[in-house]
Amino acid sequence: MSKDEALTADEIALYDRQIRLWGMATQLRLRSAKVLIVNVGGVGTEIVKNLVLGGLNSIELLDSSVVKEEDFAAQFFLPNDDSIIGQPKLPIIVEKIKELNNRVKLNINTTPLESIFEDPSYFKQFDLIIATELNRSQLFALNQHTRALSIPLYATGLHGLFGYIITDLIEHYSTPQKEAGNQLREPNTKINRSKTITKVDFDKGSNTETLTILDEFVPIPQIFKSKELPNQLNKRQLKRLSASFPLIFSLFEFEKPLNPEDVIDKELLRAKGIQLCEQYGIPTASITEEYLDMFSNQAFTEYSPVAAVLGGTLAQDVIQFLSKKESPINNVLILDSVKSEMPIYLL
Amino acid sequence: MAKDTYLKKILGNDRYSRVRQTKILMVGAGGIGCELLKDLVLTGYGEIHIVDLDTITLSNLNRQFLFRHHDIDKSKSLTVAKAVDSFNYFDTKLVPHHGNIMDAKQFPITWWSQFSYIFNALDNLEARRYVNRMCLYLKTPLMESGTTGFDGQIQPIYPYYSECFDCQSKVTPKTFPVCTIRSTPSQPVHCITWAKEFLFHQLFDEVDSSAGGLNDAAKIKSETDDKDEIENMTKEFNELVDLRKLIFNSDARTFFTELVNKIFKVDVERLLLIETLWKSRQKPVPLIITQYEQDLIRILDDQTELQKIFGDETKVWSTLENLVILFKASESLQRRLQGEESFLSFDKDDEDTLNFVTASANLRSIIFNIEVKSKFDIKQIAGNIIPAIATTNAIISGFSSLSGTNYFKYDFEETQDFSRIYQESSSIFISIKPNKYITSASLVGPNERCPTSSIARGLLKLTPVEVKELSLKWLVDKLIEQYDYADEAVALILGKSRLIYDVDFDDNLEKRLGDLSGFTDGELLMVQDDDGELESIELYISIVEDHESDYLPQIKLGPKKAITEESSNGSSGAPDVATDTIVIDEEDEDLVEVTEPVVKKRKIEVEVL
Repeated sequence: MSKDEALTADEIALYDRQIRLWGMATQLRLRSAKVLIVNVGGVGTEIVKNLVLGGLNSIELLDSSVVKEEDFAAQFFLPNDDSIIGQPKLPIIVEKIKELNNRVKLNINTTPLESIFEDPSYFKQFDLIIATELNRSQLFALNQHTRALSIPLYATGLHGLFGYIITDLIEHYSTPQKEAGNQLREPNTKINRSKTITKVDFDKGSNTETLTILDEFVPIPQIFKSKELPNQLNKRQLKRLSASFPLIFSLFEFEKPLNPEDVIDKELLRAKGIQLCEQYGIPTASITEEYLDMFSNQAFTEYSPVAAVLGGTLAQDVIQFLSKKESPINNVLILDSVKSEMPIYLL
Repeated sequence: MAKDTYLKKILGNDRYSRVRQTKILMVGAGGIGCELLKDLVLTGYGEIHIVDLDTITLSNLNRQFLFRHHDIDKSKSLTVAKAVDSFNYFDTKLVPHHGNIMDAKQFPITWWSQFSYIFNALDNLEARRYVNRMCLYLKTPLMESGTTGFDGQIQPIYPYYSECFDCQSKVTPKTFPVCTIRSTPSQPVHCITWAKEFLFHQLFDEVDSSAGGLNDAAKIKSETDDKDEIENMTKEFNELVDLRKLIFNSDARTFFTELVNKIFKVDVERLLLIETLWKSRQKPVPLIITQYEQDLIRILDDQTELQKIFGDETKVWSTLENLVILFKASESLQRRLQGEESFLSFDKDDEDTLNFVTASANLRSIIFNIEVKSKFDIKQIAGNIIPAIATTNAIISGFSSLSGTNYFKYDFEETQDFSRIYQESSSIFISIKPNKYITSASLVGPNERCPTSSIARGLLKLTPVEVKELSLKWLVDKLIEQYDYADEAVALILGKSRLIYDVDFDDNLEKRLGDLSGFTDGELLMVQDDDGELESIELYISIVEDHESDYLPQIKLGPKKAITEESSNGSSGAPDVATDTIVIDEEDEDLVEVTEPVVKKRKIEVEVL
């Protein structure tokens, strides 16, 4: 259905509680959005659940994997049946996902990502791509294509109690409404490296300003070698910086163990973590024994509550992105559920 | 390998085995509940009890992902328990209860005492307060959570170590002066309140004299001394009583015509006569029904036209359209009252009642030159609908289960010393900013002025035989022996306010406990130190078959707190004062973002569904 076609009475009744929050216009934007989700693991499961409930136009799931025993940790669309182990995952879960909301078109594609890369025009059909649990080379390769095609990209992954969201949304215009202060905001004001007020519409009657804000994003490989972090944190913040940021980025250098019982070598992780701290210009002291133990143990593991927080945050940001009301996450969010922190860094 | 390899790696073997063996309770199976239950089941809890009194509606389905279209009207608790079966990979035992958590018969204190941890996933203050108090009696840790729109928060509660739910006063709904509602409305919400709480209530609901406080003589007198206005209100009210009689002995058209004529013409004309009201206000314009009569009759016979009007709930209806809706709604309500139903209460999901309130509120708005609203918008105000989305619920439930599961890090089997876990826990708020997504705050100790947690609490355990045989004197002696009251002077108050013993009132001393009226299972007994030295203790009478030798809680009473006791012995809870808790964000000093204030005010209380 097109953006111009009004919501039906049935749609309004079903989406009542969310339309009351974000309005009809956003619901219409959601209804016209076509999204690709790469890999449906623990966090992918949460994202697809949230976006199907939200009422997107269509979602394509791309995942060539077969069901593994450890998938029964957080992937709740899997039936409780051991005999499916070894079978391709998507055909088994798709019907269960459709049950959530039959208004959303759901397609599945079990082609391996590497084969898709051979014909990247495939990506053109999507307004937005969400990639989960990619390794570094896959992420960089995908980002190269999304950059070339100007398609916004979200990347996310889980490591037990920890997780991340990395965004390259190319550019994004939003029009938030703010109460006007004593001094009116000026158009063409740069708020920071990536954020510019391009337009200000002042409404005297309600004393509000409708701003047009441009958020600009950098390609993901640039995030991996950024020197920006120390400039964004004060001394105290730098000192109490959690090791989850350098360790999550360190884990991009490791492959997920084939045997889920295996752990990541702690000393290799320590060396990589320290190297990354030096590279990012942050104190190496954050790499504590406690964090190294947790990360070597929990790397690449899935845990439902953490998947829920991360998948909820990502899906919410996708809705925010599509609604054009506020700025989306730019460009790295770290979830540390040990410290109950979710900092966002502009790298 | 096994399915729980990841859980063992993340939680560690000790915590995981405690989680596997424990019994927990989740109260509420709605927006947060569906998400939370998924997380708890996938954390591998041994046994989860679920309580909810509600049934599933269509508007739940945008976020309560365990429910389907074909589940509408079914019990939430029974349905969720069945729905998670498909991913109950760790064989959690699920025990659903369809019922009201505040029902002490269905859920006596002995039932509550089986749980090691309680998760609240509720949408209303009353039930939250009740669960909070039960947790204080039993010293059971509680996870409180709530969401509204994009906002949400969790608050872990460790009884008597951290703030309880009542330690922070909660925001209460705004109320309006009676005169504004009855005589001089100036906003849509005034007309909606009038339509729902005055007009609808007086015409169709169970008869009482209160009219939702909108005909309270004392209240009106406190607001105005304009004799004409007061007299007019009384007259208006009495005529409404006559109008109600018409429902039963007239046809639809007569009732409607009389209704419109009285409410939107005669009453308004009379208001206009009170000139003092309109000195600085725009005068209302009475509605003359005859102007619309012809069109009204035509439309009422035209099914296509009718469907068109009823079909679009987001459109702002014209005067004529509102009259059409009012006619159809009052006709239908009248028919229902003439039939089976003896009275009708406003319910946002009962179309007839919502249509009536929408149309009458709008007609009043038109008369008073106030903005007219769509049915969609009026439903939100009249029905107190709080926007709710899947993502916020998913995030908050995730934190709720994470923080709750953290409790099992330590072994609390032997001790209820929460000092360590209390230090390590925090409240979490969603607060989306360019440099962070959440704010967390360390827990603080109980508020000394909190009427709920500033007194001691515990169980008075007795067997049925003991209740029959032991005297009140035995109990008084036992209390003095246990808690060391100076001068042996205590006062005992049973239930809400009945004094059964103090030094000057010993008539009951020789009576058996069971002969004291109201001394029953689930009743409360407040014990106060007559000398005012020791804090009071509120005992929950628990009649059980067996309690070994302990009758009273083994605690040491502290000195009496500063707070007055009047609100502490009932279920009324904390006074509802509207104050916001301010979370100061220490980390934002450097990152300047023009659009966000550094200090953010946040409401502690949020309603969910």
